[in-house]
Amino acid sequence: MQTNNKGSFSSIRAFLCDPFRMFGVVSVILLLLLTVAPAKDYFSQWRSYQRQYLNLIRNRGDAVTLLRHFQGGIQQIWIPQLGVIDRCQTCHVGVAEASLADVKEQPFRAHPPIPHKLTEFGCVICHRGQGAATTVSEAHHSKMAGEEPILPMRYIEASCGQCHHEPLEGTPKLNQGRLMLARYGCVNCHAVTLPDGSTMQGTDNPPPLTHIADKTTREWIYAWLKDPTSYSASSTMPNFLFSDADASDISAFLIANSTPQPGDSMAYSATSSGSASDSSAGAVLYGESFCASCHATQNEAGNLVGGDLGPELTNVGTKVKPGWLMAWLKDPHTYDPTTKMPQYRWTDQQLQTLTAYVAGKTDPDFVANVHLQPATQAQIAHGKKLVIEYGCASCHEITGIPKPDNFAPDLSRIGSKPLVQLIFLPGMEQSLPAYLAEKIRQPRAFGPSLHMPKYSFSTSQIEDLTTALLSFTNRSFTLPPNLQIPAVQDTNYRPAGQAGQLMANINCLSCHRINGNGGTMAPDLSWEGSSVQQPWLDTFLKNPNTLRPTLIRRMPKFNLTDSERTVLTNYMMTVYQTPAFERDEMPLSGYSPDLVEKGRQLFYSKYACQSCHIVNPNQDKGYIGPTLTTVGARLNAAWIFHYLKDPQAIRPETIEPNQHISDDDAQALTAFLMTQKTIAGQGAK
Amino acid sequence: MPGAIETYFDKLERTRVWRSIFRSGKGTSTLHNALAIQQNVFLHLFPTKVRKRMLGLGATWYLGTLTLGTFIVLVVTGILLMLYYHPSVPRAYSDVKDLQFVVSSGLFLRNLHRWSAHAMVFLAFAHMFRVFYRGAYRTPREFNWVIGVVLLLVTLLLSYTGYLLPWDQLAFWAITVGTNISSAVPLIGDKIRFMLLGGHLVNANALLRFYVLHCVILPLTAVLFLAVHFWRIRKDGGLYVRETEPGVTSAEKQLSNQEQGSR
Repeated sequence: MQTNNKGSFSSIRAFLCDPFRMFGVVSVILLLLLTVAPAKDYFSQWRSYQRQYLNLIRNRGDAVTLLRHFQGGIQQIWIPQLGVIDRCQTCHVGVAEASLADVKEQPFRAHPPIPHKLTEFGCVICHRGQGAATTVSEAHHSKMAGEEPILPMRYIEASCGQCHHEPLEGTPKLNQGRLMLARYGCVNCHAVTLPDGSTMQGTDNPPPLTHIADKTTREWIYAWLKDPTSYSASSTMPNFLFSDADASDISAFLIANSTPQPGDSMAYSATSSGSASDSSAGAVLYGESFCASCHATQNEAGNLVGGDLGPELTNVGTKVKPGWLMAWLKDPHTYDPTTKMPQYRWTDQQLQTLTAYVAGKTDPDFVANVHLQPATQAQIAHGKKLVIEYGCASCHEITGIPKPDNFAPDLSRIGSKPLVQLIFLPGMEQSLPAYLAEKIRQPRAFGPSLHMPKYSFSTSQIEDLTTALLSFTNRSFTLPPNLQIPAVQDTNYRPAGQAGQLMANINCLSCHRINGNGGTMAPDLSWEGSSVQQPWLDTFLKNPNTLRPTLIRRMPKFNLTDSERTVLTNYMMTVYQTPAFERDEMPLSGYSPDLVEKGRQLFYSKYACQSCHIVNPNQDKGYIGPTLTTVGARLNAAWIFHYLKDPQAIRPETIEPNQHISDDDAQALTAFLMTQKTIAGQGAK
Repeated sequence: MPGAIETYFDKLERTRVWRSIFRSGKGTSTLHNALAIQQNVFLHLFPTKVRKRMLGLGATWYLGTLTLGTFIVLVVTGILLMLYYHPSVPRAYSDVKDLQFVVSSGLFLRNLHRWSAHAMVFLAFAHMFRVFYRGAYRTPREFNWVIGVVLLLVTLLLSYTGYLLPWDQLAFWAITVGTNISSAVPLIGDKIRFMLLGGHLVNANALLRFYVLHCVILPLTAVLFLAVHFWRIRKDGGLYVRETEPGVTSAEKQLSNQEQGSR
């Protein structure tokens, strides 16, 4: 046995040591190995998918069409100017076949309908992944430098945002996320430069802290810093997770750093206006002034009711000193020249009443347990250091502390950040969306030295923000300019002269948009002078009533004097005119009864305007458009005529349909509408 | 049947073409065998006579031959890869991706090139260790040892220049670091770096330079030194045999002594 073994060993040795045989053996092995290469090519993943696809379509009714469309081999979409080489259709064979919409199994499902052609942009621009790849793992999951894994579908709207910088109808998450970036002041610390070179601006309107001691107490600042949401649920101020000592020091510094501002406090006596009748009078005045159009309060059920243009007022009495509040209500510009709050012209008695009512909205628990020792110089100095360290001046104006530049990382291209540059928490999903979401959810978990504050966002809000952040990609900067659709930027339009001062004073632009500048809550006034008749405008400013009964937010009454109204209406009638037509080219009255009757018929039958509008409140039920009961006293005839002809030419955003009304019909309708000067059925007053 | 084949070969060997290529003529004498080697352009670099024992695995472990083998594989696969690769910034990386994903057996080709390159570096080192520890670098073979060192350097440079060509992050930073090291040379360091990169940054010029180095200059240098290397084996008296080893004849010992004495 042993000898046998020995013999076989030596024979193998002899065999191997013979160079010629060795060469032969090695050559054969090499040849066998070489056959692996074409075999691997033949049994590739994509060939297998194409075979499966052919099996799938064979038994379908539309097999002939599908087979005719089918091309074997590697398929690609090649768009050189976009840098797109997408071979996704090699496996996703039926992605462009609308008739395969019923197929549920991937990779054969048809693409759902979208506004773009698949061949126009390819796949990777929206879905990410590696377009050049022809294997599933490489195409979908590659995380090598410069390659991105597939974007989860819940963030897909981010891809639209690479080109579309204006809000789109189909991208609610993206739109909301972008609004939040501005509304929650993210962009105050993090610079976001858009491809057109503009930077995103915050809309959170953080108050200046230069005269904070006039407005509130150190105790309130302390409690607010510790947890802003316990004061107001809708706070846009985040929680910086300060320690008790740090919050105390910052509050000490802010109070010590505050300088008094002449005129931002008034003598307010609680005794003269503390009675119950005053309280109800205050509520009435609060309601009449439409404070709730901008300010929200929490009702008993815990729901916020009211607008979000100004801060929530549920517990405002806990925060502000009554003397300051009264001065603020008298003229908010004294304390904050850039405020969006209009100056109402209330009488002193009204001011007392309203102050008593608003200051009565308190939450005594909020500062009840705050007992701060008088601040030492060391505390104040430490507070200042913290204020600088945490970048408070990025949002708030603070005396002696300049606004820091580039305080937080620039987010202009955050959506393309390579995974290798991210530091993940242990156990979390290793992807960019997951990282962004987690960073927003618990920013301080990523390192003890980080200063990013914590917002109390819901999961869906975080998803919206993440979507918006993911839209800031490298690609959005390298796209050809003709593909960039920029957002409408506010102009720096300001009305001029005496009227301009008045309009700044009542802050028309907080709600109304004029010549591309201002809010969007109320109608655009750029062409108001062409639109309305001066007497109506004057009456409206004197006592605004709503044109749209279904709206909650309404135009407040600013108590303007007669001369102020004259200045304002003269200016508006003269300046805010459209170049599209001459305002007075059609008369306001005097149309022939025949024409009026024809217009009435057209209104009710051919164009069925009563579906949306009300002319006769007794019979019409349309609530979608504004009521037209007194339209003849409100609008100019030429405006009505041209508006009927092409509504979008005058107001591009209006939902009024363009019915391509002929000149004759439009004239008849105008004549009919111009007769609607008083509410039908009530007779002339 | 065997007879017929033999007749056929006999006829073939008598043709003019055959005789023009294999000029040593027919015959098995020592002279014929020596001429067959000497008169062939590829074989004339080698000794006309080799001890049979030196062809066994144990004598050299074939390390030098294997190094040459990987070099040939690299030349062949490299030329095939050149058919697909553009040394330009926008194309380089996507060409590598194309090789991986759409070229038939492209990935195999690329991997073969890559692994052969690794193997060649390893084998060159192993070859040198073997030569060193056997003492085969000693007189009269010290000149060939120096050529071997040059070949090792060329091998390493080939490996290094090839590293940049995929134009990925790894390549970019490896070349950035590598060329920064070269700038540490006193006085002319920055000039060397500038010359290597064709600029101050790893960019299109650097890619082109490394491509030319990798595909033209360095392979030609390698071939040149390889030829000298093999030719020197013959000139230095064939593969090295230790005197104490069995099977070494006294005449060989004498020859070896003479050679050592003469230098």
